[in-house]
Amino acid sequence: MAKKKINLKTTVVENREQRLGTIIAWDGKASDLAKESAFSRQGCGGGDGNQCNLCEVRGPFTQGSVCSEQIVGCQAGNVRNSVLVQHSPIGCGAGQVEWNSLFRNGLAQRNLPVESIRILCSNLKESDMVFGGVEKLRNTVQDAWDRYKPEAIFISTSCSTAIIGDDIDGVATEFTEKLKIPVVPLHCEGFRSKHWSTGFDSTQHGILRQIVRKNPKKQEDLVNVINLWGSDIFTPMLGELGLRVNYIVDLATVEQLAQLSEAACTVGFCYTLSSYLAAGLEQEFGVPEIKAPQPYGLVGTDAWIREIGRVTNREEKAEAYIEKSHKKIEKRLNELRKELKGVKGYVATGSAYAHGIIAVLKELGVEVNGSLTFHHDPVYDSGDPKQDSLAHVIDNYGDIPSFSVSNRQQFQFYGLLKRVNPDFIIIRHNGLAPLASRLGIPAAPLGDEHIAVAYDGIINLGETILDLLAHKTFHEDLAQHVKLPYKKWWLDQEDPFILSKEPNIVSQ
Amino acid sequence: MSSINETIKEKTNSISQIRYGCSIGALYTAAAIPGVVPITHCGPGCADKQYLALAFYNGFQGGGYSGGAVPPSVNVSENEVVFGGEDRLRELIESSLKIIDADLFVVLTGCVPDLVGDDVGSVVGEFQDRGVNIVYAETGGFRGNNFTGHELVVKSIIDQYVGNYDGEKEQHSVNVWSLLPFQNTFWRGDLEEIKRVLEGIGLKVNILFGSESEGVSEWKSIPKAQFNLVLSPWLGLETAKHLEKKYNQPFLHIPVVPIGAKETTRFLHEVSDFAGLDKEKVEAFIKKEEKRYYYYLEHFADFYAEWWWGLPAKFAVVGDSAYNLAVTKFLITQLGLIPGKQIITENTPEEYQEAIRNEYKHISDKVSTDVEFIEDGYLILESLRNTDFGHKPPVLFATTWERDVAKELNASIVEIGFPASYEVVLSRSYVGYRGALNLLDKIYTTAISTSA
Repeated sequence: MAKKKINLKTTVVENREQRLGTIIAWDGKASDLAKESAFSRQGCGGGDGNQCNLCEVRGPFTQGSVCSEQIVGCQAGNVRNSVLVQHSPIGCGAGQVEWNSLFRNGLAQRNLPVESIRILCSNLKESDMVFGGVEKLRNTVQDAWDRYKPEAIFISTSCSTAIIGDDIDGVATEFTEKLKIPVVPLHCEGFRSKHWSTGFDSTQHGILRQIVRKNPKKQEDLVNVINLWGSDIFTPMLGELGLRVNYIVDLATVEQLAQLSEAACTVGFCYTLSSYLAAGLEQEFGVPEIKAPQPYGLVGTDAWIREIGRVTNREEKAEAYIEKSHKKIEKRLNELRKELKGVKGYVATGSAYAHGIIAVLKELGVEVNGSLTFHHDPVYDSGDPKQDSLAHVIDNYGDIPSFSVSNRQQFQFYGLLKRVNPDFIIIRHNGLAPLASRLGIPAAPLGDEHIAVAYDGIINLGETILDLLAHKTFHEDLAQHVKLPYKKWWLDQEDPFILSKEPNIVSQ
Repeated sequence: MSSINETIKEKTNSISQIRYGCSIGALYTAAAIPGVVPITHCGPGCADKQYLALAFYNGFQGGGYSGGAVPPSVNVSENEVVFGGEDRLRELIESSLKIIDADLFVVLTGCVPDLVGDDVGSVVGEFQDRGVNIVYAETGGFRGNNFTGHELVVKSIIDQYVGNYDGEKEQHSVNVWSLLPFQNTFWRGDLEEIKRVLEGIGLKVNILFGSESEGVSEWKSIPKAQFNLVLSPWLGLETAKHLEKKYNQPFLHIPVVPIGAKETTRFLHEVSDFAGLDKEKVEAFIKKEEKRYYYYLEHFADFYAEWWWGLPAKFAVVGDSAYNLAVTKFLITQLGLIPGKQIITENTPEEYQEAIRNEYKHISDKVSTDVEFIEDGYLILESLRNTDFGHKPPVLFATTWERDVAKELNASIVEIGFPASYEVVLSRSYVGYRGALNLLDKIYTTAISTSA
């Protein structure tokens, strides 16, 4: 398997679609997607993502998506002791509202002091589109420094500044020298990548280039955990193995980012999120990335813990923890399996995360006949088939007959739900649950992304589903009283991807 | 976090703790009209950002029929940047007609098509020529904020959809131009109350946005109205002036959105004088409303007079001019609170600022106060920190951004404006006769809930 090389020479991260062959629209069986991705499976091209046989479908109709700059805001904007400068007209600044809410609630969940997020927008106007906005960027970076004396400043780009060609790298270099702190340009203009997950990579690229310590002093008991704002479940879990946790990127301090290179290994809760940074840390600093199934369900978690035990030389402790944990959850797991028998679930989340959640649902005995991911990466940056999270769920829990890649396209979601009629859906990211609600189907938004992770996660998710099913009352009542914004012609279509196959159908 | 440098106060171009959306945020002007669906010709994240800021983390109002993830969007990619996005927009509109059930589509442009020079007017024109109900507005984010975008969208619907009219006017009917939908967290309940009291005195009311709007048929009847009512410090004046020219419609401008009986009664008298309404009917309605209002105030007086553990005396208001002025007036003239600091945040066009200042100067017979115009959250924070609120903590009428300074000042905070990320707002209103009582509930529940 050809290993993907992370290129840190330029400030611009290579897009996901270029690096990994990412697609945003596809429909079929999960087993076919795994095969065509040719990650661990032998595909047509012989097992390298670059040669995979994955055909993306494309249609004339699309609904609003999400952009990479939003993701940069929710990553770089959420680093404590730092400031994010959005070099953009004021509209991109609207993201501050969402990130502030996530930041505050995330801080509270981790028992950290709650405060407002620190993001400044350079607020470009019409004349700046003509004459350039570099001077305003300088002002705003200076403001960020004068106001907060941060330990790092991130600069995000926007569609406008990319089109007018402002020299953001130049300003970053100038201020890195002037302020003696890392001033990190993050190229993330929305139009540059078809999928927002490039925004994760862009942030991680900047962190790898300019913040991670170049002369690390190894900390053999430190584990990098690449996550979001999730509750602190990794400290007690990895504590059982005598390991300490370094949470990255959201809510981390700049110092926590700097010590990424000193850790014994890197793990994540979702390969979509952790792929780039983990591979980069291994390539540049020799910090091994844990290559195993993700920590979801019994099989996945066992393998994941064992691999951490092996890499950190704590095999015995790992085995003891596995045995203890199985015993701990056994009784409630069996009860939940009985209570959830015959219940049908649907997962609609980011790519690798969906694979993990499906595993947990199946572990709980929930039927999963359909699911969608917002994008699909045929491979991850490590190129290691042990990370083939889609194949893992199929091999251990069976196929998913209706498996779709649909980038937050609510109009398709209607038909996808009708195909399998689930009792509930599991989501992350906004946009789809409101439609499910209008169809009488309750959704669990996994705001705490750790809720389903590892052994306790199986139980947590089971309990969440039981709570959720009670909500059905509200949604079923609503469904009786609202009209959907879609025409009957569309609602009657059996194939939600028909427009990709017969684009002329819209002018008939 | 390292210590804050206290000396930085000059205004620069920077904006932190944002207080409004950009021009394309006016997709929520379109979405606020029942049956109207926006189509956004912009980057992949623009519509979602405006949604999350304006309609989600601002009272969790929700997208409803045509907001949230519903609006069709081009999701501009590199291809449309290099080769232009007109073909892609054409294809999107064509398929939207087949899939989305709308009475009217409003195409809004973002920064990218405005920069690369897409001729959106001609693409939309092709559909208009076919008789499709569709209009467009150029709302690239660098052109302005969602307040100016709002007036652009309103104008585009009037000029491109409502069209010309030289027929009869309908006596005692009014078009209301007031709070900015979604930006103002409480606009739905408020417009409902405004419509209710205007109908109460005998007007036929085109409220135009929200649950009480009839949608596009109501918009079609705009030209027939006797007059336009601009009920806000400045937003809507552009529209009213345009309608005055276009339909020969006079307008009445009342800058203070009324909260409480005193101000609402005054407001209704002014409107009824302008419209020439039946005085008896007007007075009968006012009497009935005041009776109810003072029934509740009479009972509230026990608490207001006898609560042992202290209530705030001074206040600060931070937010859009409409609510800022309305709330300030109510607090001073109804409750007898003392103004500490008023900061208007929506980037009020300069030509309107003097008139607004004047309103604060003459806020009541006995009290005169001032107002600052600041958009950047950091400077707002500095201004609040440097205000002398006297011997006890004030109550802040502000936004989620002021939660930290509220803690610093040991103050109560009532989130009354964008963004209100710790309020869930359905039909709650703070204006008119009824809304004022809700506001009293909210203020004093907040104030005493910290007492033990």
